[in-house]
Amino acid sequence: MTPAYATFGEVAAERRIASAPLSHVSIELGHLYMEDFQAGPDRLREQFRQVAPWAETMRRSWQSRVPGGRARVSTCFLIDDYFSRFSTPAELVPMVLEAAAECDLTIDYLARESACAEADGVMLARLVEDRLVTDPPAGSDGSRPPVTETGWLCNGTRSPYSGAVQAMGSARRWEPPAQNAKRRHSIFVDVELWDTDSRGRTWSCPFLAAVWQLLRLGLIRNEGELPVRPKPRGASFPSEWDDLPAIVQLNPAAAPFSAYSTLSVLSSRFLPVELAVRTILSQVFVDAQVLGQVADRSGGEGIRLPDELVDRISYVFLGA
Amino acid sequence: MLVFAISDKGGTGRSVTSSNIVYRRALQGSDVCYLDFDFGSPTAGAIFSVSSVARGTTQGGMHGYLEGRLADPHRIDIWAESDREGLRAKPPGAGQMVLFPGDEGGGEFSTVSEEMLQRCVRLFARLEEEFDLCLVDLSAGRSFAAQMALAATARLPGVPFRWLVFHRWTRQHIIAADGLVRGRQGLLAVGVEHGHDKETLGDRIRFVRTAVLEPDAAELEGLRETQKAWLNECDRELRELAGRHRVGRTSMLGKIPLDPVLQWREQLISDEDVLSSQIANAETVAAFDDLAKKIVDDSAWEAL
Amino acid sequence: MLVMGEVRTGLLQNSGEIPESLCQSVLGLLSGERVRVSRRPIVYAVSPDQLTGVDCRLASASQARVRGVGTVLSRASVTGGRVLQGSSHIQVVRSESDHRLSWSHYLARPGVVEVFGKIRVPDLSEGFAESARNDCLDLGSVSERFMDAVQASPFLDRKAPFRSARTRLRWVAESGPTGSGGAESGPTGSGGAESGPTGSGGAESGRAGGGARTPEGTGIRFTLGRDQVRTLRLVLPGGFSPGIVDFCEDLALHDWLLTTLLVIVEKARVGTASRAEVTAKLAPAVDHLLHLWMPAARLDDAFAPFWETLERRPGFSRQWHSLVERVRDQVAINTLALLRETGGW
Repeated sequence: MTPAYATFGEVAAERRIASAPLSHVSIELGHLYMEDFQAGPDRLREQFRQVAPWAETMRRSWQSRVPGGRARVSTCFLIDDYFSRFSTPAELVPMVLEAAAECDLTIDYLARESACAEADGVMLARLVEDRLVTDPPAGSDGSRPPVTETGWLCNGTRSPYSGAVQAMGSARRWEPPAQNAKRRHSIFVDVELWDTDSRGRTWSCPFLAAVWQLLRLGLIRNEGELPVRPKPRGASFPSEWDDLPAIVQLNPAAAPFSAYSTLSVLSSRFLPVELAVRTILSQVFVDAQVLGQVADRSGGEGIRLPDELVDRISYVFLGA
Repeated sequence: MLVFAISDKGGTGRSVTSSNIVYRRALQGSDVCYLDFDFGSPTAGAIFSVSSVARGTTQGGMHGYLEGRLADPHRIDIWAESDREGLRAKPPGAGQMVLFPGDEGGGEFSTVSEEMLQRCVRLFARLEEEFDLCLVDLSAGRSFAAQMALAATARLPGVPFRWLVFHRWTRQHIIAADGLVRGRQGLLAVGVEHGHDKETLGDRIRFVRTAVLEPDAAELEGLRETQKAWLNECDRELRELAGRHRVGRTSMLGKIPLDPVLQWREQLISDEDVLSSQIANAETVAAFDDLAKKIVDDSAWEAL
Repeated sequence: MLVMGEVRTGLLQNSGEIPESLCQSVLGLLSGERVRVSRRPIVYAVSPDQLTGVDCRLASASQARVRGVGTVLSRASVTGGRVLQGSSHIQVVRSESDHRLSWSHYLARPGVVEVFGKIRVPDLSEGFAESARNDCLDLGSVSERFMDAVQASPFLDRKAPFRSARTRLRWVAESGPTGSGGAESGPTGSGGAESGPTGSGGAESGRAGGGARTPEGTGIRFTLGRDQVRTLRLVLPGGFSPGIVDFCEDLALHDWLLTTLLVIVEKARVGTASRAEVTAKLAPAVDHLLHLWMPAARLDDAFAPFWETLERRPGFSRQWHSLVERVRDQVAINTLALLRETGGW
């Protein structure tokens, strides 16, 4: 080996990617907003009662796929502390755990929604925003920068607005927006990713939910490292949300937080949000090496995962 | 360096003077380019005697580029493509001379969109990498082109730029030139709106007098004494007016004498036009040469 | 296999060369991802890979309408803290579908553009190399945008020591006669890890694109076009390897150095202008360019023969060294003259 050849190796050598421990499936048992909290513990119990059979079905399904039925299934629960702050961890978390236990559900991991924006000093949402590769409308030949409306992401071509026109030039008529991957007719989706006010940028709920899905799929890295690792629960829960770790491991015996696939059991009022999440996720580029790691791990277990991220995500939408 | 050429009123000889400045600068050894931002009337090709783009290009020029229809605007190497034989041989030591024409049939823009502005910023930044001097010829008066130039330069803090305001030596032109710079919605006001510092921007603006008839010029020798006296009086009054409007000597970068060649046929004046065919005056060429040097001479641009 | 790319090369807009530490900030186009730097034999820093989505016509020599959908893989690099390159490429494969699929399908295959219908390799490579058409895939503009993003960095002072034009190297690489069947036969696998070049050391080099490897059937053609355009056609045994991109970038870098030095020497008007003027015009070359010549420094051994071919004809290094000698001689003569004038010698 010549010296020049040897040192060129250093470029590649510096790119080291940590691998995430992975379950087979991550089941989201619920997502708590202020309004749910205000409705009282009965509402929560009712929700868990509805979720339990679906979670059980998913668990069984993986048990039947994996040799010896040794499926690694972890459950999680997300509390909104980003858009509105209510109660305290010390008061709220035990209430949630109690309600879940009454329905024979174990919550393995508890996460704060604001952790999807920033966790342990890593700007997760920014990280994901930087990895958006916009779905190109026909005619995108690379000569122009991708058409973006700052803070928005869509799945096609927006209806043209009357922008700069030349004097004495011809005016434009209205044209419909179009979905890029349409089959004859379009379902055009335009998602607001964030907005700004005097306090700075506020990420939208679908964008944070997209980050949440990527975290659960173990696909985010910051400089090659895992950005968030679950922390074990303390003896008690703090009285400030900021003092609660981004992701708390409640069950010491739990399977890993991240997984090959995810299931979210949600109220059907979240259907538009999840359509937006899928619109975002289908335009996020995940590092090829990270994908390769996951593919190798699952392949080693004889499990073939879909290439496309959105196909690794399942939902159950529950009526009111 | 970016140099923006503007005038409040039409007919000042702004385009023909700035083309000649570009030409002189190229002869002095700099790599130069000329951007036709006179969107309503993209005819710079005619001045450089490139007949194929005399009314703008059909291959995608400034309009098409700024509207995002193409990535590389049509560029014309004047030394290679001019119809004038005298221009087609690049003298040794001369720099590149490139014309970026507007689109044939192109019109003024009705607004400046963010995308257009970004394209403009990118264009300026790229050309500044390649050329010592990029002269941007803007249309007369307040225009979206001028607004875009102010906004784009505010986003390119590392790129030096200067403005030349062309005006004729008349009452109306002097007042108008002052108004274009300092008046309501003038260059300074709009510049500040886009993030320029008023004083710094002011220091980067100079005036150029065109079609100047000096009272002691040779052309005026046949005049009666009474006429001469009257002309002197007019000139004195104009100087006073110019002083009041801060368009006076200190803020003037140069003046171009009245020359029939410039009046009747807007073209580049070569040394040959002065020496062999003698259709142009030596003073005119000297004035262009002087301006071409002063444009890049920092001492001519010291704070007033 | 059919791979095509375009490299644009220019001077980093800064008064001096930038230190290695600054490369990190200047090339850090993607948060959470490090700029990779190698230090020997010359400091070379490269940005993380970037993707751009495209859905457009591919140029074809026969003017056939060929539509491709997929992602362009790009990166920006700085060599010697002085020369900036933007580089983009795609691998062309045949689509398994007859209509456009969901975008996530293409995102799972970085750097791959899927073409509807049969791929005629000579038609496409000819078309791409020939000339840039307005409505066809424009890899050069993608490369330029990443260059622009670097040049706009607030860490650069924009006071470049001299003006210079960016050069454009458009390149196409295809498999030799026995290997071309690989592209004809359809897409390469469907696994995410298997399907795309990552350009980051993740993909194995020299993966055959379906056809057999042949040691013979290699070839290289480098053409100096009008203005700043150059084209490179490569015929290689086997399939795609990231080394192809490295080679094309290396060639583009050295072609730019040569082009730029030629312009500087021409403008110095040796023999016509005064000695002081000549020296002043040549000084930036001495300060900023002469030490950067290091052909094939970081290349995969497999590409060494290509450089050797180019060294024989047109003889890059021969021309470079002769120019360098001329520059040094001029500077030396002028120094001597100056010493004599001042009576120091």
